[in-house]
Amino acid sequence: MLNVSHIDAFHGSFQALWDVSLSVEPKEVVAIIGANGSGKSTLLDSISGLVHPVKGRIEFNGKNISALEPFHIVDLGICQTPEGRGIFPDLTILENLIIGSYNHHARPKKAHNLKKVYELFPILEERKAQLGKTLSGGEQQMLALGRGLMSNPKLMLLDEISLGLAPLIIDELYRALKDIREGGITILFVEQNVRRSLTEADRAYILEAGRVVLSGNADELREEERIKKAYFGA
Amino acid sequence: MPLVMGILLGGLYAVIALGLSLVFGVVKEINVAHGDLVILGSYFGYAAMTMLGIDPILSLVMGMPLLFGIGFLIQKYLLNRAFRISMDATLIIAFGISIILQNTFQLIWTPFPRGLTTSYALKSLALGPVRFPFVYLLNFVVAIIVMLFLREFLRRTYLGMAIRAAAQNRKSAHLMGINTDRVYAFTFAIALAFAAIAGVFLGLTFPFTPISGMPFLIIALGVVVLGGLGSIVGTFIGGIAFGLAQTLGGHFFGVAAQMLVAYTMVLVVLAVIPRGIFGR
Amino acid sequence: MQGGLILFIAVFVVLALFPVIGVPRVWLLYLFLFFIYLSMANMWNLLAGYSGLISLCPAAFVGLAGYTMTIMTWLGLPYYVGIIPGAIVAALFAMLISIPVFRLKGIYFAIGTLVVPEILRVVFLLWKPVGGPLDGLGRGYTVHGVAEVSRSQPYWLALAIGMTSFLLMRYILRSKLGSGLAAIRDNDSTAASCGINVFSLKLCSFIIAAFVTGIAGTIFYIYQGFIEPASAFSIRWLITLMLATVIGGEGTEEGPIVGTMIVVFLYFLLARYAEISLIIQGIILVGIMLVAPQGIVGYIRKFQRHTSN
Repeated sequence: MLNVSHIDAFHGSFQALWDVSLSVEPKEVVAIIGANGSGKSTLLDSISGLVHPVKGRIEFNGKNISALEPFHIVDLGICQTPEGRGIFPDLTILENLIIGSYNHHARPKKAHNLKKVYELFPILEERKAQLGKTLSGGEQQMLALGRGLMSNPKLMLLDEISLGLAPLIIDELYRALKDIREGGITILFVEQNVRRSLTEADRAYILEAGRVVLSGNADELREEERIKKAYFGA
Repeated sequence: MPLVMGILLGGLYAVIALGLSLVFGVVKEINVAHGDLVILGSYFGYAAMTMLGIDPILSLVMGMPLLFGIGFLIQKYLLNRAFRISMDATLIIAFGISIILQNTFQLIWTPFPRGLTTSYALKSLALGPVRFPFVYLLNFVVAIIVMLFLREFLRRTYLGMAIRAAAQNRKSAHLMGINTDRVYAFTFAIALAFAAIAGVFLGLTFPFTPISGMPFLIIALGVVVLGGLGSIVGTFIGGIAFGLAQTLGGHFFGVAAQMLVAYTMVLVVLAVIPRGIFGR
Repeated sequence: MQGGLILFIAVFVVLALFPVIGVPRVWLLYLFLFFIYLSMANMWNLLAGYSGLISLCPAAFVGLAGYTMTIMTWLGLPYYVGIIPGAIVAALFAMLISIPVFRLKGIYFAIGTLVVPEILRVVFLLWKPVGGPLDGLGRGYTVHGVAEVSRSQPYWLALAIGMTSFLLMRYILRSKLGSGLAAIRDNDSTAASCGINVFSLKLCSFIIAAFVTGIAGTIFYIYQGFIEPASAFSIRWLITLMLATVIGGEGTEEGPIVGTMIVVFLYFLLARYAEISLIIQGIILVGIMLVAPQGIVGYIRKFQRHTSN
């Protein structure tokens, strides 16, 4: 479904990705694991079109999306939940969700998707008239996920959804992700927490200093000596 | 008496500033040509009145779409590109537009002051002990109508919500599938449509010349900074504040000095309002 | 360096001899305006191109200096005595307004400087410091004591300030002030964290710019013989300087020279069609920013770097 081949990408004037390749098959859950500064966000931004890779190619369902504008890529069915959630602080929850269905494919399904989002996260329906900035971290993350769902995506990119949240809330979020996955949506997520990533994902890529150093099935990776030493040791 | 006049005048200033506030809040540009674009609205009304015999307010039916289109093109082809080059570039290009407009006005209509002198523009009303020109009341009513319209538009339409979203978080707006370039173009276009309205009512209230844009730009800037970026109510209150400053200043210091009072207030507002809103 | 200095002096001497050897009046007028605008453009470039200050108030300095000089002639003093005091008044004013205006960042600074000349215009429209019932205010003042003066004297004064501004720019850019400004232009906060006192450097540039612009302004009005608020504080000053600097190349040393040459040439070419000339200038301003925002000099530099790669 998604094919990233040998891309180099910059974050500002600083090169963040070197010869990075990855692929995601439909209905998969794939994790990108890496510490701060490893280039994870730049990778997601490249797929979303916020950054254009200077070398290499990104393909989605056979179409070359490397040079497309972000709004175009959302139209094609890729949505990103950015790091820090990126909700609109002065819009209400309902407005945040509605704006999620801005793209043309999502608009006719607005009511339908809204219902699904409320089923997944009932608290969003309870608080729907509240402004985004009044929400707690966990609620904001739910809103961000809900907003992503409103865009009727085929592929969801999630950037560090567990950042700064309590373990209970993180569990709840990942449970929701399971539901989302069952709905047929493919997920590519970025996580710092190795254990969590390898539990939730089918496959994973380890990113270090802008390069893919390791990749494979989650089960196999869990057994990998290097991983055990490097990450589980700490 | 100056109190009532000041408040009513504030309505006009609010409408003049509304377009500027919208563009400043959403696109984060200061359009220094805004004053001249309002005067463009005034001259358009004048042309409709003198060449076609149409009442200037009615001419808005043509004037608003015209200015809407012009605004869309300016933002799409000039200012969007300038924004990518640098902040200074947008300022300089806006200046260029300002020069072109002012001198085109002068070429066509000479420096002689013009006014939209319709029959009702000269009438005055009495409310109890207070007498004021009818147009002042008209301006105030129009201001309220325009602002209500804008508020509903921003709340209920997809484009309106997209405009608000783009103003709050540009990156997230991109991720929502919002084409910010197009949204900015529409924002600017809407701002100019409002400028058309402002221009006609300005022309009904005051005489204007090719260089009338500057004083109104300065006041509009004061209104926008005082009222807070992107706040419709704030712009209204700011407008009233400046309207009052001008009429009260004229009352206490004489007619000639009233602009001075307004200008000084602009400087004070700039100095006092925290500039953290967007630095560079 | 030596060769450059000799060339410079040679050019200076030749230009200074022009009025004496009977060069046509039109040429002298062109050169006069060229050097006046060049001084001001160099200063605008100093602020906008090197200090990161888009100052929209050059008219304030021009007008204040011009009025100071004029008022001094009404007090019986010869015109040349008023030049330096005029510049000093402009510089003091710059110091005064820097207190509130420098606290404003970016676009707010631009707005603040935009308002200032307009305020001064209204002030001088209402305030009559000297003269009887038929003088001053909107009608303006004539400059006493210049009617009998030959055309050459203002010309030489303009030549002097023009050349001085050029040398001044060269000196500043190679001095400590210059490197400090270069750091600020790149990034305000980084420069500050390196221990550079951003505020005082910017203030320094601002005051220098006000002073030199003031001198050029007084010389202009000495030549013109007449000053009034609408012209002294007109936005036309800003437009001319902005155009000259931008066409030539903001942030380059030669930019203002090239730009001013073109602007004054346009002025002469279309002198009879004032509005059309300005409309064309406006179009050029917009066009240049879109097509070659670095100006002619900047564009040539880029081209040179490209071909040498």
